[in-house]
Amino acid sequence: MINRASKFALCLLALPALVVPILCLAYLLMRGLPGLDSSFFGLSTLGQSRDTTSLSNQHGIFPQIMGSVLLSALACSIAMPLALGLSLHNQLYAGRRSQSLMVHVLTTFQSIPPLVYGLCGLVVFVHLLQWGISLAAGAIVLAMIVLPVLTLNTIHALERIPTALTDSARSLGMSAGQIIWHVWRPKAWRSLLTGLFLAIARTLSETAPILFTATVFSGVIWPDSLLSPVTSLQTHIFYLAQEAVDERILAHAWSSALILVTLVVMFSVIAHFLNRHSSDNE
Amino acid sequence: MNKPYTNMQLATAHVTDKTTDQPKLKTYDKARVEVNNLNLKRGGRLILNKLNLTLADNGITSIIGPSGAGKSSLLRCINGLDKDWKGEISVDGIASKHWPKGADALRQHIGLIGQKPTVFPCSITDNVVFGLRGKQRKQASSGLIEYCLKQAALWDEVCDRLDHNAQTLSLGQQQRLCIARALAVKPAVLLLDEPTASLDPRSKNKIEASLHGLGENMPVVVVTHDLEQVRRLGGNALFMCDGMLIEQAESTTLLDTPQRLETREFFQWSTCDCPPEDE
Repeated sequence: MINRASKFALCLLALPALVVPILCLAYLLMRGLPGLDSSFFGLSTLGQSRDTTSLSNQHGIFPQIMGSVLLSALACSIAMPLALGLSLHNQLYAGRRSQSLMVHVLTTFQSIPPLVYGLCGLVVFVHLLQWGISLAAGAIVLAMIVLPVLTLNTIHALERIPTALTDSARSLGMSAGQIIWHVWRPKAWRSLLTGLFLAIARTLSETAPILFTATVFSGVIWPDSLLSPVTSLQTHIFYLAQEAVDERILAHAWSSALILVTLVVMFSVIAHFLNRHSSDNE
Repeated sequence: MNKPYTNMQLATAHVTDKTTDQPKLKTYDKARVEVNNLNLKRGGRLILNKLNLTLADNGITSIIGPSGAGKSSLLRCINGLDKDWKGEISVDGIASKHWPKGADALRQHIGLIGQKPTVFPCSITDNVVFGLRGKQRKQASSGLIEYCLKQAALWDEVCDRLDHNAQTLSLGQQQRLCIARALAVKPAVLLLDEPTASLDPRSKNKIEASLHGLGENMPVVVVTHDLEQVRRLGGNALFMCDGMLIEQAESTTLLDTPQRLETREFFQWSTCDCPPEDE
């Protein structure tokens, strides 16, 4: 009887965690789906001149999607090698104290609000280095945000490789490079990809840091260079929702939000799939 | 120091004795390992305490002693897996900390096989050549693979399934594969840490037979708790306790007439089925 009661109580506690996101998703689908027509994607106006200064953004959502993807891809391309380097150094050369210190520092960095990173990026890249609101500034700020996530994920992936395998390889006289390539890579690549996809999902869901450093609402379709501003789904939704007085524009915001959530969920699902395969292989 | 042994030489070293039809090891280098005043501390505890030891010539040397005596740590220090020791370890007269081409080359020169068989998740063939570098690995001949597997007394059991995943082998076979893998990089000394600890008698016999063959051509050091195995392996035996070398003699002499009290007590405990009553 007590067991049943406690089980019921736990279910009641767990229910909101499941129900609230489902309700949100359902509401998002309900509001967003009707707006997903050809004009939303700009298909009906292909070949026509593109004026992106209009709030209604009648020329489609592609520039925003591409902007978000570009920012995310650049951020992860910056962060991934750094995360790999940090975690490999941590595993190969750092002592136990240094290892635990690094994990502690990374966990702390992970918990810093992204807004703070955005402010730092605004001061350093936009003002101090005079890059202005730019793709490069936004990508670096996003890279700083996902670097702890990626590094910790890589460290954990490498830690899961049995020490006996590494010791066997070392006792054969294999160099650090050979061990990384022949022993660690085959064991850890799925976990690393999982981390990468989670990082992509994270960069796609960040808004505040890129508002300060990288994105503008209008006037840009495709950035000319790394030092040009970019438009993204996140800021697009932010401005539309903030300034919408017209029901049509609000509907556009909901549809944009649906696209963004779809992108985030897609990368999360890929990450989950890879992680499951990775666990099966261990 | 002898010149490094090339892959081609290894491949041609697969020589068959026509009278017995058994492969013969001919060209392995021999090494002299000297350990002087070796100290190893871990977590404030002295694991190895002023240890002096010389491993020379061919033959098997068994290291026995209670758990925590520092036997495995000694092997890891000699192989170079553990680096935070003090004292001096020299191989062929060269201090191991100043080994030419670095610690990786030293570890290749001194093979170490652990207690638990650790095979890599790839084919049997790939496991044998796993320790070879770059082109050597790609160009490893079937002769080399056959030769190493025969030395490890595994060839007859796996010759028809060399492309199978090594993880499908039994534990005993995996351990022999580890020996073959260690041989492929041509070590001058072979260190084995309780190689038969978790194996059945049949696998034990096969590994012991393999070690006898290898011991004719290079120094082989075996850490074991099995006193009967020490007798079967022959050669020399060392008794270690509390990180120190207590006694060293020919294996049957050490087993039958131990000189030191610590050794006698250990043998008494090892051969007694039930714990002695408190006096």
